[in-house]
Amino acid sequence: MEFVKTPDWHLLIVWYFFIGGIAGGAYFTAAVADNFGSDRDRGVFRIGYTLALLLIGLCGILLILDLGTPSRFMNMMGAFKFWDPMSIGAWMLGVFGLFAFLSAALAWVGGEARAPLRRKLSLLGTIFGFFLASYTGVLLSATAQPFWSEARLMGALFLASGASTGMAAISLLLFLSGESGGVGYRKVKHADRFAMVVELVLLAAFLGLLGSAAAPITSGTFAPLFWGGLVAAGLVLPLLLDLVGGRVRVLGGLAAVLVLVGGFILRYVIVMARA
Amino acid sequence: MTTNLIDIQNSDVIMATSNFAENHPVGFQWVMKAKERGAKFIHVDPRFTRTSSVADVHVPLRSGTNIAFFGGLISYAIQNNLYFKDYVVHYTNASFLIDPAFKTATDGGGLFTGLEQTGKGGNDPHVAQAYKRDSWKYQLDGEGNPKRDLTLKDPSSVFQLMKRHYSRYTPEMVERICGIPKDKFVQVAKLYCENSGPEKTGTITYALNLTQHTNGVQNIRALCMLQILLGNIGRPGGGVVALRGHANVQGATDLELLYHELPGYLAMPLRDLHPDLKTYLEKVTPKGGFWVNLPKFMVSLLKAFYGDAATKDNEFGYQWLPKRASADAYSHQHIFVDMYKGKIKGFLADGQNPAVGGPNAKLARAAMGKLDWLVVKDIFITETAEFWKAPGASAKDIKTEVFFLPAAPAAEKDGSLTNTMRLIQWHEKAVNPPGDVTSDAEFFVSLTKRLQKMYAGSKKERDQGFLAASFTYGDDPKEPNMELVLKEVNGFATEEITDKDGKVVYKKGQALNSFAHMTDDGKTAGGCWIYTGVTVEGPDGKLVNKANARKPADEKDYLAHGWGFAWPANRRILYNRASADLQGKPWSERKKLIWWDPEAPGAKPEEKGKWVGLDVPDFNAFLAPDAKNGDKPFIMRADLVGAFFGPLNDGPFPEHYEPVESPTRNLLSKQQNNPVVKIWDVPDQQNNLAPVGSSDFPYVITTYRLTEHHLSGVMSRYLPMLAELFHSHFAEISHELAAELGITNGEKITVSSPRGKVHVTAMVTHRLKPFLIDGKKVHQIGVPWHWGYNGIDALPGSKGDITNDLSATVADPTVYIQETKAFVCNIKKGVV
Amino acid sequence: MARTLAMFTDTSLCIGCRACQVACKQWNELPLEQPEWTGGYQNQSHFTDKTYRLVRFIEKPKPDGQLQWLLMSDVCKHCAQAGCLDACPTGAIYRTEFGTVDINQDLCNGCRYCVSSCPFGVVSFNHDTGRANKCTFCNDRIHNGLGPACAKTCPTESIQFGFRDELVPKAEKRLAKLKEMGYTGAQLYGADSNGPLGGLNAFFLLLDKPSTYHLPEKPLLPQRNVLVDSLLSVGSALLVGVGAVMAFRDRGGKEGGDGVR
Repeated sequence: MEFVKTPDWHLLIVWYFFIGGIAGGAYFTAAVADNFGSDRDRGVFRIGYTLALLLIGLCGILLILDLGTPSRFMNMMGAFKFWDPMSIGAWMLGVFGLFAFLSAALAWVGGEARAPLRRKLSLLGTIFGFFLASYTGVLLSATAQPFWSEARLMGALFLASGASTGMAAISLLLFLSGESGGVGYRKVKHADRFAMVVELVLLAAFLGLLGSAAAPITSGTFAPLFWGGLVAAGLVLPLLLDLVGGRVRVLGGLAAVLVLVGGFILRYVIVMARA
Repeated sequence: MTTNLIDIQNSDVIMATSNFAENHPVGFQWVMKAKERGAKFIHVDPRFTRTSSVADVHVPLRSGTNIAFFGGLISYAIQNNLYFKDYVVHYTNASFLIDPAFKTATDGGGLFTGLEQTGKGGNDPHVAQAYKRDSWKYQLDGEGNPKRDLTLKDPSSVFQLMKRHYSRYTPEMVERICGIPKDKFVQVAKLYCENSGPEKTGTITYALNLTQHTNGVQNIRALCMLQILLGNIGRPGGGVVALRGHANVQGATDLELLYHELPGYLAMPLRDLHPDLKTYLEKVTPKGGFWVNLPKFMVSLLKAFYGDAATKDNEFGYQWLPKRASADAYSHQHIFVDMYKGKIKGFLADGQNPAVGGPNAKLARAAMGKLDWLVVKDIFITETAEFWKAPGASAKDIKTEVFFLPAAPAAEKDGSLTNTMRLIQWHEKAVNPPGDVTSDAEFFVSLTKRLQKMYAGSKKERDQGFLAASFTYGDDPKEPNMELVLKEVNGFATEEITDKDGKVVYKKGQALNSFAHMTDDGKTAGGCWIYTGVTVEGPDGKLVNKANARKPADEKDYLAHGWGFAWPANRRILYNRASADLQGKPWSERKKLIWWDPEAPGAKPEEKGKWVGLDVPDFNAFLAPDAKNGDKPFIMRADLVGAFFGPLNDGPFPEHYEPVESPTRNLLSKQQNNPVVKIWDVPDQQNNLAPVGSSDFPYVITTYRLTEHHLSGVMSRYLPMLAELFHSHFAEISHELAAELGITNGEKITVSSPRGKVHVTAMVTHRLKPFLIDGKKVHQIGVPWHWGYNGIDALPGSKGDITNDLSATVADPTVYIQETKAFVCNIKKGVV
Repeated sequence: MARTLAMFTDTSLCIGCRACQVACKQWNELPLEQPEWTGGYQNQSHFTDKTYRLVRFIEKPKPDGQLQWLLMSDVCKHCAQAGCLDACPTGAIYRTEFGTVDINQDLCNGCRYCVSSCPFGVVSFNHDTGRANKCTFCNDRIHNGLGPACAKTCPTESIQFGFRDELVPKAEKRLAKLKEMGYTGAQLYGADSNGPLGGLNAFFLLLDKPSTYHLPEKPLLPQRNVLVDSLLSVGSALLVGVGAVMAFRDRGGKEGGDGVR
């Protein structure tokens, strides 16, 4: 009998991880587009900042609902322990939310005059965005749970996944709003492919370092979802589709959806393996 | 117990034959302390229990074979010359010569000389046959004293007879009967015997494991004999540790809530044999031993009962005292058989739950259905209070009118508890009982006053005693002053008492210091002479309640004489004269307890010499070792020595007989069971018994208790924090038996006997193993008996079937205790 | 900071009576709980939000084949380096001046991070109150000059309470004595302040290896890898960042360049 207790985190937390990843990744993408892209990438960063803001709000709600005593969510602000992923996570969520708000506001109503401020702000905000996308992985590893505690690359992997799903989300929104012909869309797709490759490499390293300790997701009940849902359908297939489907726009949209689903599955199998 | 729980720490070897750690956990700490000092701990028990887990050796033996085991040890000690020779020669009746017509069971095919048919017919051996004990006596010399052979060689000596009697109890025989491998038995015998003697002492403990058999009394006799053979009685780290089965059952027996004796272990008068006080006193007072003082205790008791109404002129009220109509008994089992036959109209169950707790509980419940009225006084609504709701009972056919009176538990009243080491400890009320809840004292005093009012003016002879009964304890009948009750138990002077020089020794009403001051002329009253000394008058005239004293042990007084009061006279280790040799010196420095100091001030100013030491002497403190009887430690026996030869109605030496229900014939002799065992004939097939070796009931079953629960569960199954400690009512069965029957751990099974069946959860464990009895495999199971149909609704596991539905109405022939420790059963998978 | 208090549970003295388990329930006024069928006397397989002290019953034969029933009263270890305390984001879990670890029921919001971060599986979530619970080391008692209820009630003094710096030498002496008496498997668990987790303030004398008692052989502080894992995340961020920057840099070409900023 295993004597470590599981935290009983289920779908609320899976969604939080997933959406937090997208929020961080979307904001980061927006910041890159804002700072290194051209005027024609304006659509990207507007959507990115706004999406991040909305998703952060949703993150907050998900976290509050998961608490045993939701009315006491503000108690998270009662301490600040920088060695404790959940403590800084709670703070950073708030700080990042502030950045996302400011960035989105500046993107919509700030105009060109505020552009330099907006760009500098977003570079700073990106740090918090990255944090949101990745800290949840470090949080899981800092527990006493077998498998989670043995995974050194969980945070790194979640960050790459946050980036890839954030970019996929933005590209999907662009696609749905008819902007899939634009330069911005192509750049996001390009960045997304890079992020997916990094994610695949990190995933391989993640599994390699874990060895047999990865069994909870690589074999057993979660194995089909992991291999089929994440690796095949969530990463390999969209990469192929993207490379091939440069001409067929809808394949690009489909690839984005697959990436998103894959990102969800990644967090689902990892969290539920210790549910 | 003859000794003291605290003293167990001084043992060199402890043999627990009962489940000591589980049922007496607080007392058990002293075994752990003894182990710290290097003592060896042996646990003899059919099951490997929590006691076994801290033992050096666990000896599994088949339930019901304890005499074979002890007999084997006695034989081993004798054959290997490991007994304490000087102690045996001088302090016991080993050297006494017996009538040569007496023959032991070795020569009698399992029976002693003198078994005769009584002609009273019937199937009940207890009635149909009896021992004529004419030859069971000492040879006397010209002066009427027993003849002795101090060399112990005379074939008529008790020692040689005992040796001959136990010659059949070889290690091989122990293996065949008990199922203890020969080598293990010898290992244990060696370990125990070699740790007894002048330099070392051993303790043996027992509880219901030895008492609840049809050979119960003889089980204990065997253990006592072993202890005096090895010289362990009356010595530090020695003794017989009788672990009582309830927090205050010692108090209950001391104050004789029993039919056969009066408080202080005085014989209950028989209507026809003892028509008057003089005859009673003549017949029951022995010629020697401390019981020669019985008349003083009896008269003082009568004065306590009847107060001023008891005078010299009316035999102190002796005629008012209810007496036993015959030598027949009114034990628990007698009562319920009579109740079932419709002979009893009403029943008050005060803190007792016979619907669950007594043997053949189904019979008990059926019997209560024949009553006109039943009053249950208890702290919870017990199964007895709702016996008509028992599974299988048909409420509409039951006419009994049932009353329930809520009772106050210990924390809601003042009072005392007398625990297993004869220690009287006071407890104070912590909270007032709520609502209508009453303490026993309030109830009985109020009831008596009401009845006395109802009977007032009655001219009937039989009412006079009740009307004369003295029942006043303070000013408020609703709150009897319990310290005054204790004082009455202790005893007090009924008038001013002066010594022969006219000096006032006791004022009128003053508490007595000692039972030695009791008189048979009515000047003293005393409810229980052995308790005298528990309350004394302080220098300020106020009553000092020694039961409430709480001075812990220290280096000078390891026995903690300042904590509570142990009867008699605060002596902690009984028979402690035996700790010193004939000259009054301890047998060894290491094992000193009391010793004779010839220079100490004597009883009178001009005298010198006193017994001193670490305990109050259980002896006349001023009787010199070389004076007459100065070398006789066993002061309560008429002949003042420990008894190997002890005539009881089933024999002077314990002999192994099988339990009434057994898987095997008696391998020792042709006599299957106790020749005078008590077996009731109960109508309507309510007491069917399985034949020997029955294939319908092939397994041995023993019933027992757990630490977490208490008796019939009234004090535990209604309390969540106790009731939740066990998932459900279970039976412990071995892996071997489970494999044979295809039973897995945790599934429900049905355990049945000729009387009834229970459904329990199977706990399959390695801690029970089958026995090899005469080469044949015999399975044994264990079932705790704490469960009943009431409990906590939110905790389904707090309710269960009643284990005592399985046991039978059979009894030991001396005290009528039931045989719930060894009988037979069958097991079926599932709920059948 | 006052002197550190400790509980030393010497399983060689345990008779499995469960007085400790009951005293704890009674003192903490813990509500009724459905027992589990564990196959033996043990009534819960592990700590729960309503069982803070749990007596474990382990049937394991000795090397020579003889029966052995190991009895152990298990409890929160009050680790010198406590995973639960380091994990708690609200500060509800704190260390008293006596070195004991307690959960402030007024602050806890039930995030359950502590539940997942105890290497021993002690901390439990109470679904009725929505908060996490565990042994408090009888926090109210120790602040009023008394010891924990379990230690007070133990009839064989298997559970001893006192200052850690006095109990540890006592435990070491006891271990030496047991080894002399032939208990070759006897060992201390958590007595060493230089050992795992900085030592446990509720430490044990075991008669067999820790895993027999369902204890981790070498418990580790869950937060030990936070730095490494964080740095690896930073590495991942850099990788992903470079890729994204490269993808967005205007390199002119077909779409026409507006110039790189």
